Parts: sequence; C-alpha cells; structure tokens
Amino acid sequence: MAELDLALRELGRHVEFPPTPDLASGVRRRLAERRRIWWQRPLVIALAVLGVAIGAVLAVPPARTAVLDWLGIRGARITRVEKLPPAPAVGNLDLGRRITLREARRRAPWLLVPSAERVGAPDLVSFSAAIPGGKITLLWGTRRDVHLLLTEFRGEAFIEKLVEPGAKVELLQVDGSRGAWVGGSHVLVYRDRNGLVREDTSRLAGKTLLWQRGEVTLRLEGDFSKQEALRIARSAR
Amino acid sequence: MVSRPPTESQLVEQARNGDEAAYEELVRAHQGIAFRIAYLVAGNSAEAEDAAQEGFVKAYCALGRFRRGAPFRPWLLQIVANEARNRRRSAGRRAALALRAGEEGSSGGAAPSPEGIVLAGEERGQLLEAVNGLREEERLVIACRYFLELSEEETAATLGVRAGTVKSRTSRALAHLREGLGEAHG
Repeated sequence: MAELDLALRELGRHVEFPPTPDLASGVRRRLAERRRIWWQRPLVIALAVLGVAIGAVLAVPPARTAVLDWLGIRGARITRVEKLPPAPAVGNLDLGRRITLREARRRAPWLLVPSAERVGAPDLVSFSAAIPGGKITLLWGTRRDVHLLLTEFRGEAFIEKLVEPGAKVELLQVDGSRGAWVGGSHVLVYRDRNGLVREDTSRLAGKTLLWQRGEVTLRLEGDFSKQEALRIARSAR
Repeated sequence: MVSRPPTESQLVEQARNGDEAAYEELVRAHQGIAFRIAYLVAGNSAEAEDAAQEGFVKAYCALGRFRRGAPFRPWLLQIVANEARNRRRSAGRRAALALRAGEEGSSGGAAPSPEGIVLAGEERGQLLEAVNGLREEERLVIACRYFLELSEEETAATLGVRAGTVKSRTSRALAHLREGLGEAHG
C-alpha cells in the first residue's frame, strides 16, 4: 500500500503537462470585453427595436419586408436599421495575435480553411481569445489592402443580423447548411458558447457570405461574386 | 522598512472591490494549477486554456458570493473544473487523455523524492500505463491526489463530489492499479 502510494507520487513528478500559457492577459481581455458587452447590450437591443420600427413604418412592400426582415438562419433574424454603428477600419482593427496556420489548427481543431483554386494559403492568421473558444481570422492580401477575410468562431448560432436599408440579403445553402449572402455592411449579433450576446461589425464594405457548419460560424468577406464566394466556402476543410 | 506583499485574503478582498490588478496577481498565483486541472478534465491544451481563462473570469464575477476567510484555491478550482467539464461534454465523447511521463522530473531538477523511492524508467512506464487504463473517474482522482498533490478537500471540489467519495474512489483506484500491476507494488 505504502509503496504504491510513494510510487505514484514519484511518478507524478515525471508526468508531462503542456507548459502553462499566460492566462492573466487573456483574463484581463475577457473582463474588458465583458464590460464592453454589458455596456453595449442595451444599444444593440435598441438598434434592433429601432430597425423593426423603421421596417414597419417605411413604405416597403409588406411581403418583401416580411421576407427580408425575418429571414431565419438557425434562429437568426435579419433586421434592417437606418444606420449601422460605425465599423473600425481594417487597419486599426484588433484582429488578435498573429500566429501561424499550424498554431491556429492546434488552438482551434475545428478551424476550416478554404482550399479553392487561386485562393492559396492565407497571408495572415490571427487568434483572438476575446471570445470563449477563441476567434480565428484568416486574411488574404495585406492589412491595408484586404482581398479576402474569413472569420471563424464557435458560437451557438447567430441570432440576429442588422443590415442597412440598401443591403441585399439572400438565403442560400452552403454544403447542406443554411447561410446568407449579404451585399453591404452589416452587424452580426450572436450568442457565444457561454450564452453572452455579442456583436461583430463587418470589416469590409464588400460582400459577405455567412454560414454555419456544425458549431462553427464562418463569415467570408471580400469583393467577389456570389458564385466565387460559394466556391471558396465549399472548399473549406 | 520593507512593505510586506499583500496576503491572499487581502488580494481577494481588493478584487472583490473591483481591483483588477489585485485579481491579476491571484490569477498569476494560481494559473499553473488551474491550467493543469483543466487539462486533465478537458483533455487537450487549447480547451484547457480556454476553460481556465473563462473559469478565472467567472470566479471574478462571482467574488461577491465567495465566503470571506474561506480558502480561495478550492473554490477557484471548482469553477475552473466545471468549465473544463462543460467543454468536454459539449465536445462529445472523445478518447481519454493519455498522460505521458518524461525522463526528467516535471519540476525540473530531478531531485529524488524525500521518501527516496526512485522508479526505473520501465517501472514508471508500466505504472503510468496502468493509471491511463483506469476508468476516467478513477484516473482523475489519482491524478488530482498524486500528480497534482491536491488535498482531499480540493479534489472533492474539483471533481464536484463529496470528500467521502474521493476517499472511496481513491481506494478503489489503488486496488485496480494493484490488480493491473499484478501485485508488483502491493
């Protein structure tokens, strides 16, 4: 008995654990993010309510409003608002910490990377621990001249999207799961894995393809045609 | 006169009053054990990092409910382990984490244990294999008690069970190990 006891303790000194990452900075970021969300939450709700009100008042043909305003993507609603909150410029945007693609795959085993022809490997990969489970951004081009931006995170489902009046929204299928094709700026409101409601503004003024694969929400932004976006999305593995 | 660094309960008190710098000191003091526990429970290091971070955030938000004067560590570990368990559950069934042993002691300078027992590499491998072969709940209790050297109380908090269950589970696990090793360490 005593011998096994001692042997286990001795073994314990040799068991290998991965090195402990610096958790303090991540905790600090998440606390700051939490404060920001609590502060912004009423704003988002107010915007959504405003959007519905405007949708009801504007002389848009009722049938069309119904389709555009209440598109359901796994519980997501698409709401039109008169003005979107300002989007930070990509160059100033905090994409998180720059990492290698290999490191990204290690941190996020669920990561999907497009392998379509002419797309190639992303020029910049970054990881942000600001949301639970992390958020990975793949960027093609440079920070100042972005060709393609793919954002991925594990959120339960996107629950709401705010779009500007001019924005076109079309529901479609990406590999059997539902998605949306959005032409114009938008704000994505979604529920993260801890049930917190978060908000994310599109970074590019171009087009967006938004879809969900399993637990992962993917947003592809760029200046491309719908066919091109779908081709890239379907190639994501 | 040199000013004494604040005690843990002083840091907890400051953090409770919204002092995030004080809380950061608590994070640094406990991040090693928190991460290892999350790693044991969640089964991979990316999930462990996420679970430990989120555990610290939730603990901060729950400081108002923390009983003054109680030990901080078991309370924290319970929250972190809970986060790790949730992640493991939502990831579905996965092969259990297989612990590995290095040649050198993980503490660095392989000083012999005070009891003076030194296992040969082969024996160590056999013992670790036997631990890895245990049922998950028994493997966890062994890892908490012997590898992370948590107290019975801390193990109970981490695993979300009563102290009596930790006792009985530990002795069952030891019996299974002995069986598995063919009484070699009996």
